[in-house]
Amino acid sequence: MGEDHQIETDVAIIGGGTAGLNSAMAAAEKGLKVLVAEKANIERSGAIAGGIDHFHAYLETGEDWDTREAYLGWVSKISKGASSLKVQEAVYCDEYKAAIERVERIGIALRNPKTGDFYRTLALGMPGPYAINFNGKKLKPKMAEEVRRLGCKVLGRLQVTRLLLHDGEIAGFTGFDMRTGDFYQVRAKAVVIATGNTNRMFKPQTGNPFNLWYCPADTGDLHRAAYEAGVELANMEYIRMTIVPKGFSAPGFNAFLGMGSHLINSLEERYLEHHHPMGEAAPRNFVVWATYNELKEGRGPIYMDCRHLSQKDREHLFETLGYDKDTLPDFFVKKGYNLEGTMIEMTVSEPMQARPSEVCGSGIKIDEKCASNVPGLYAAGDSSDQMGCLHMCVAGGYAAGKQAAEFALKTKNFRPVDSAETATEKDRIFRPLGKKTGISSWEFEDIVRIITTDHFGPVKTEISLKSALDKLNKLDDAHGDLKADNLHELMRVHEAMNIQQVAKITATAAMARKETRFPPYHYRADFPETDDDQYCGLIVIKKGPEGDITTRFEPLTYEI
Amino acid sequence: MPPVIDPDKCNLCGVCDEHCPLDVIYMENEGVDVRYPLECWHCGACRQDCPTGAVDIEFPLIMLGV
Repeated sequence: MGEDHQIETDVAIIGGGTAGLNSAMAAAEKGLKVLVAEKANIERSGAIAGGIDHFHAYLETGEDWDTREAYLGWVSKISKGASSLKVQEAVYCDEYKAAIERVERIGIALRNPKTGDFYRTLALGMPGPYAINFNGKKLKPKMAEEVRRLGCKVLGRLQVTRLLLHDGEIAGFTGFDMRTGDFYQVRAKAVVIATGNTNRMFKPQTGNPFNLWYCPADTGDLHRAAYEAGVELANMEYIRMTIVPKGFSAPGFNAFLGMGSHLINSLEERYLEHHHPMGEAAPRNFVVWATYNELKEGRGPIYMDCRHLSQKDREHLFETLGYDKDTLPDFFVKKGYNLEGTMIEMTVSEPMQARPSEVCGSGIKIDEKCASNVPGLYAAGDSSDQMGCLHMCVAGGYAAGKQAAEFALKTKNFRPVDSAETATEKDRIFRPLGKKTGISSWEFEDIVRIITTDHFGPVKTEISLKSALDKLNKLDDAHGDLKADNLHELMRVHEAMNIQQVAKITATAAMARKETRFPPYHYRADFPETDDDQYCGLIVIKKGPEGDITTRFEPLTYEI
Repeated sequence: MPPVIDPDKCNLCGVCDEHCPLDVIYMENEGVDVRYPLECWHCGACRQDCPTGAVDIEFPLIMLGV
């Protein structure tokens, strides 16, 4: 163990990914003292650590699909029952123009520098080409540079473990440095959580839980901590999947479809046409569901057919794929694919606990001010229940930072923290380091992944969920046996326990939603139909007074 | 296993260690230690940010072979 540190700051941001860095910018621009606590480093971390290739936006060019109303229509269509239009308008529609300007101001061109035009493509159920294609390989380090220029304090390699409350309001948090073993107690007037979704929860395609579509460092650390602190969560029942190259769970499938590639089965049929009226332009969940069923029914392998694309389109596609996942073009070359006449074998990715659409989130329930039910605690990006994808993390991250700053400005004094609570947490954090024998984080996580995948990855029933919860609850008894030989392993031990706790929350929320929505993201084999009369809204989950998990339903309406 | 560092090109600046989002790479006095190769996400941050082009990405057989 290392030294103890006590820090005070006006606004603390937990998670230095896209949403967190935009929150930090907003709070710092108000002249406040801002701290960013990040598990890795802010230059390269989170979902877009290595790059990104698209930013969704309507641009009001005069086309009937390019308006606020049409965009909200798309939101309603692809996330009905999961997104609140009131929150969408506040965190995205009112913010997106400034978001685009900010990205370009810090040095990332969203448009072609020669022509000044945006390169826009259509996919995922859009009414028009909302996806701006761009080279975002340097977006993350550029945002980090701006955050440092604004004078924010950055604590890297800090794993946050517990939220501290006083009289039901946010007071601060604790954490440890995974390289030095230093313990931190941070007090803040306002806190923004921006820690992404929960990965490594289900069995991955090649067996390695780090070969994932989304960032494997995102392990629901603050979903678990927020839940423990009495924060309400929503959209936690959803299990997100996509289509990825066989062998490499990398993003890029929307770029393929956006450029006009076709998904074909081993009978060379464009099978999406049999499954959804929009075919390959259907919302993501339907593309995944169709592919899942094609494979299950024995018509795999499936391929991304690029044979008919023009040379120019193929070149654009392979360049764009490298913006989204830097090493994907290398993978294709090493696998023997070339630009000419290519059919690329694809498969359904690992499931993960995440948002059911491109335009909402999964986690801390927020209102139109990005506020949770705990005064002073805000959330942004994928770790909130209402934001997802780059466009919302840039726009909504900034919105959350502004709101947190306003709260901090109105708060005179730091709320006190309980030193006994801090000491107990410090003991809990470092306990696995002292153990000579015990269970490794890898083994523990593998057990969680087997349970989740067998029982709700992704198809589920009342009985399968109950059985999963029974097994996941029993695993709590193993916490005392978890061991870490060094600080890196200590971080992984805490991540493993967080994944397990979020899995319980997910199974409980899934049990409360007795219908199917966005299949396969929430497919109940015992309730296979969507029931808008009873379930068009959020399953809100919260720790009950007895320590049990409680759920309630909050309806959502869709009139634009 | 990814990433592989060419010691002849490496100038020991440590940026690959600092920028790795998964805590895979450790900068030691004598050179770079890719300590947890199984935990690599293949994001390519180390390769993109290496000032001397010393980082190569190698994919394990299971990713290429299946």
